[in-house]
Amino acid sequence: MSGLLLILHPLPDGSLSKSARETVTVAQTTAQALGMPWCIGLSGSATQKAADALAGTGAASILAVAGADFDVPRYASDAAAAEALARQSGAEIVLAPASARFSRCLAGVAQRLGGRIDTHITGLEVNGGTLRARRWYYRQRMEAVFSRAHRPWFLLIDGGIATPWQGPAGQAAVTAVAVTLADDSRRTTVVGLQAPASDAQTIRPDANVLFVAGAGWTKKQADGQPHVGEAATLIRGFLGKAQASLGSSKSLVDLKTEGQQTLDFMSHLNQVGQTGSTPRHPKGLSTCCHGEEPHVVGWRFIGERRAINLDPNCGWAQGKADVVYVADAFEVMRNVNAMLGAS
Amino acid sequence: MGSVERQSMDVDIVCAGFGPATGGFMTTLSRALLKPDGQPALESRVMPGMPLQVVCYERADDIGFGVSGVVTRARALRASFPDVDLMQIPMAHPVRHEQVLYLMDPVGASRRPAALRALDAIVRLGRALHQSDHEAVVLPHIPEFISKEDGLLLSIGQFNQWVGNQLQSTGLVQIWPGMPVKEPLFENNRVAGVRLVDQGVDKHGHPEANYMPGMDIRAGLTVVGDGPVGPVGRKLDEHLGMPLGHHQRDWAVGMKAVIELPEGCPLEPGTVLHTLGFPEPEIFGFLYVYPGGLASAGIFVPSWFDSPVRTSYRYLQHWMQHPRLWSYLKGGTLRSWGAKSIQEAGRRGEPWLVGDGFARIGEGSGSTNVLTNSGVDEAWFTGVLLAEAVIELSREGLPYTRDHLERTYVARRRASWLQKEIEIAEKARDGFQRGVLTGLFGMGLTGLTGGRLNLSTASKRPAERIPSLETYCHQLFGPAELAKLRADAAQGQRPLHDALMDRCGWPPIVPDGKLLISHQDALLLGGKVQAPAGYADHVEFLYPNLCEQCDAKVCIEVCSGQAITPGGTGGVPAFDREKCVHCGACIWNCSSSRPEDPERGNIEFRAGAGGLHSSEN
Amino acid sequence: MADPFHIVVCGSLVPDPLQTLEPVAGAQGPGLKNETMLPAVLDPWAGHALFEAANLAKQVAGSQVWLVTLGPKAKLQQLMMTIAQKVPFQLVVLDGTASGFADAHEVATALATAIQGIPGLDRNRLLLFGGCASASRDSGVTLQLVGEQLGIRDQFLGVDELGIEPDGALHILERVEGGQYQVSRCVAPPAVLAWATGSLPEPHNNPQVGMMNMRTIMPQLQKAKPVTVGCAGIQYDTVKLPSQRRDTRVVRDVPAADIAREIVDWLKA
Repeated sequence: MSGLLLILHPLPDGSLSKSARETVTVAQTTAQALGMPWCIGLSGSATQKAADALAGTGAASILAVAGADFDVPRYASDAAAAEALARQSGAEIVLAPASARFSRCLAGVAQRLGGRIDTHITGLEVNGGTLRARRWYYRQRMEAVFSRAHRPWFLLIDGGIATPWQGPAGQAAVTAVAVTLADDSRRTTVVGLQAPASDAQTIRPDANVLFVAGAGWTKKQADGQPHVGEAATLIRGFLGKAQASLGSSKSLVDLKTEGQQTLDFMSHLNQVGQTGSTPRHPKGLSTCCHGEEPHVVGWRFIGERRAINLDPNCGWAQGKADVVYVADAFEVMRNVNAMLGAS
Repeated sequence: MGSVERQSMDVDIVCAGFGPATGGFMTTLSRALLKPDGQPALESRVMPGMPLQVVCYERADDIGFGVSGVVTRARALRASFPDVDLMQIPMAHPVRHEQVLYLMDPVGASRRPAALRALDAIVRLGRALHQSDHEAVVLPHIPEFISKEDGLLLSIGQFNQWVGNQLQSTGLVQIWPGMPVKEPLFENNRVAGVRLVDQGVDKHGHPEANYMPGMDIRAGLTVVGDGPVGPVGRKLDEHLGMPLGHHQRDWAVGMKAVIELPEGCPLEPGTVLHTLGFPEPEIFGFLYVYPGGLASAGIFVPSWFDSPVRTSYRYLQHWMQHPRLWSYLKGGTLRSWGAKSIQEAGRRGEPWLVGDGFARIGEGSGSTNVLTNSGVDEAWFTGVLLAEAVIELSREGLPYTRDHLERTYVARRRASWLQKEIEIAEKARDGFQRGVLTGLFGMGLTGLTGGRLNLSTASKRPAERIPSLETYCHQLFGPAELAKLRADAAQGQRPLHDALMDRCGWPPIVPDGKLLISHQDALLLGGKVQAPAGYADHVEFLYPNLCEQCDAKVCIEVCSGQAITPGGTGGVPAFDREKCVHCGACIWNCSSSRPEDPERGNIEFRAGAGGLHSSEN
Repeated sequence: MADPFHIVVCGSLVPDPLQTLEPVAGAQGPGLKNETMLPAVLDPWAGHALFEAANLAKQVAGSQVWLVTLGPKAKLQQLMMTIAQKVPFQLVVLDGTASGFADAHEVATALATAIQGIPGLDRNRLLLFGGCASASRDSGVTLQLVGEQLGIRDQFLGVDELGIEPDGALHILERVEGGQYQVSRCVAPPAVLAWATGSLPEPHNNPQVGMMNMRTIMPQLQKAKPVTVGCAGIQYDTVKLPSQRRDTRVVRDVPAADIAREIVDWLKA
């Protein structure tokens, strides 16, 4: 058993998703650091086109399980294809992007091959010839670096940890790997996809910036009155202009369940923090949110952090943000939207 | 939805609240339920052929949540577990070293009487001659009645968990946390069990989807151990009134933090420090050191602290930063935090202990010794005594009537060491009604004479003790400035206390991100406060007009979790169930009495779900 | 009406969500500081799975629900005080660690062995439920590994909805990328369903359910088998808390327009 295998699912048109191309970069650098050959395994009906797109990656070979049966994101067929690719490659390290599809099937493949699997990998490094993986435990509360003795070792790579591979297409030689699906592999039929509810549209996982609205937007302002309508206009205006993703403090979305006047386009789906989500964005802008710790833990994967708050002693000012603007968020965001609109 | 039928379940004994008293009751009773051959020794009436069916419902989300660290002489506890090393309970440790510290005021903002100012001046002058370290003086002698030298330090959270697990593992009794008991079921002046709270309701208690009316748990005996702010005990008091001459007017809120001590801290496990003098003379403090570099440190803000600015959290932060204490705590990290109301009327707060179908145990039954500042061991002991009575009555096949419970439980209690000691202590704190120095003198007099001499005085209702803010502030600044501070706070929907304390000369708290953190961070990082959905608000302001007329709004200032805040109109305060730690301080910190009952304030404090989620308290 | 299901839910305890966690190194690998003292709850995703299982069992007469759990016996006993009030189930207890650092493969083998030993379990009617991940290890693989060991080749991850069609087929919605659901139809059990949040609210505490459950739960706890699971073959080099503290620049007394300009420049940088 030797070498590294990267398994990918090409899209039906033969192209590769961003996360797949990121994993190509990870495979290249890891194989190089380990000094081992690496190959690519593909499954689906458009494997040749995908293989051609990957011709310049430096992979020693490209294996493919071809056929429309393997376009279907279904456990039985996906696992059968990945199993065949892994067996054929004889690889000791098997990488794949942490897509919903691979997350569903690759653990079972590891089990069939007597291997081990680790998921949500946020980094791979090689020291002294030993491969070490990095991942989080306890809901992003602590981060571990570890290695495994067991082989084959399957690793699902999280998105956003490497630059997507880009290179010229070529003409790749593809080694076909035959897989005959057993009848009981078709017990499940994939009916299709169902679109998300419209109220989730302000969550944009790929956005450059996370905009967090806190409960202060609904409180009384300097004139003694709340201005929830204007708050909604300012927030939605900013989201549209900056293509930002919308997050919320818990207290703001809780107001909704308490029947208070609040921002009707937000729900607990937007909630960031200990009892909400932990999104990944390069930048985050917090407004009218006090920055208490249970909220801020949800900012673990937010790169640069800025906050607008009237209280100079708010939580953000206690080492939780890079910059805190002590100002009225209504006034600042009016100006920000005007400037973004003009630019 | 209103047609959903209320269900009912029959048991032999239902307990409301799982604290030390119920722990003592269930521990003692469970050992007597079976014969050595496994057959029932005490047979159930509701399930013939089975042992007594005993079930306990606890309000908090787990059995170790929402309680406190304690130093106790543990006489009754040790008697219940003669062959068990209690040191196996996490955080337990014998008391090794005990001190009483008088803390001087290094800030200059403390409202000290002239006598204390003089004392501080004398101590400072005499520093060269007397041992004085970091603005503190170690009292040379600890009166025996206060000393816990032979006692134990416990985390009651951990202790309750340990006791609860021992009980559950017997399979003989059941304890169900996260299930608040709403009220006792009265039937012809008999208590026939309890009603649990409704689930699937909105904040006003109106049914929503999945509405489930609180179940009636019918029982031959209802054991009321839900503490001094528990709804079952308080409903009983409302229904029955208090025995002649008894009242529950004396309270304190204890607020504490469990702190991971900094490296190099010289305090050894088993150290007990009692403090007095700072941040205000009326506020006493404690610091207990557990194994593993942990300490429990906190303050008591009493009902006789005649100030409308009763903000325990801010005072706790100033107390921790007293130079003497800060020399131990600086660099420490807050691990846990919480608050609790303590019934300080002691024996004088004893309600009707029994009636047809019910018995009272624990702190809510007036068992706390207000001279020795001891309540946990006493509470446990009341549970033990009730269990012994229940065993006797069950063996005799007698129902749990008032007469039978008087003959068995109350008689045992009256004949016990507990009764003798709380009688001695009964008037020990009366002097505090006239100020801290008189109070200390009174306690000393009671303690040193074994209760033969007391400085007794009439008590006031809590509402009568709260001065207006104008009165409180008039020596420092005028009504115009107060009005401005008040308007600013209302505008920002913030409590007023921080502005008042700043104005009174207290320095701002400079957060260190570890121990000095915002109140909300303490609430969530320390107390881990949570509230499940589907339950009604448990705090209600009964007469809106009384709130609208009230300028003091002490309920907001005292609220341990900032759950009570200025309302949208500036009149009736708002309540946020998700921040409530269920300390119950709002019960006795309302300056408006109810028209129909001058002993009670304008706030109804009902059975509520959620609260603290820390078990290290 | 579908034939009755035999629903096995795998789930264990995790620290109560707001607890302060800190890693410590132990002889058997990493662990949590004061792990035995930390309050615990049923893993939230496994909890959703359990509630969905109970709901399905209620709809399809004759169905049974087992909760198979691996954790320290004393802590499981305490956990049962809370969850046994929620829905009816039978308990299968494995007395061992619930650490997030235990290897999913070892945990899966222990769980699969326990499931194989459930008396009367009809493997042809088996729906294997659990969380799509845990709040401790968060690997999202344990249930698939158990399913493979039980020979189940129809597996679903991140399930939010399960419907039973008139012919008894399973209609399943799984969370996939882009906030979408993948809709699948599986002709019949056995199947593995690793649940996301589902759509059911947390059931109320029901004293009667609690009393009924406890009659079978306590004997199971008393005879819980000790199992050893760990992280053999894994070398943890470091386990650290992330550094949270930043050097904050506080900008005050600056006109809103200037602040806005700075923010816009920052956003565009």
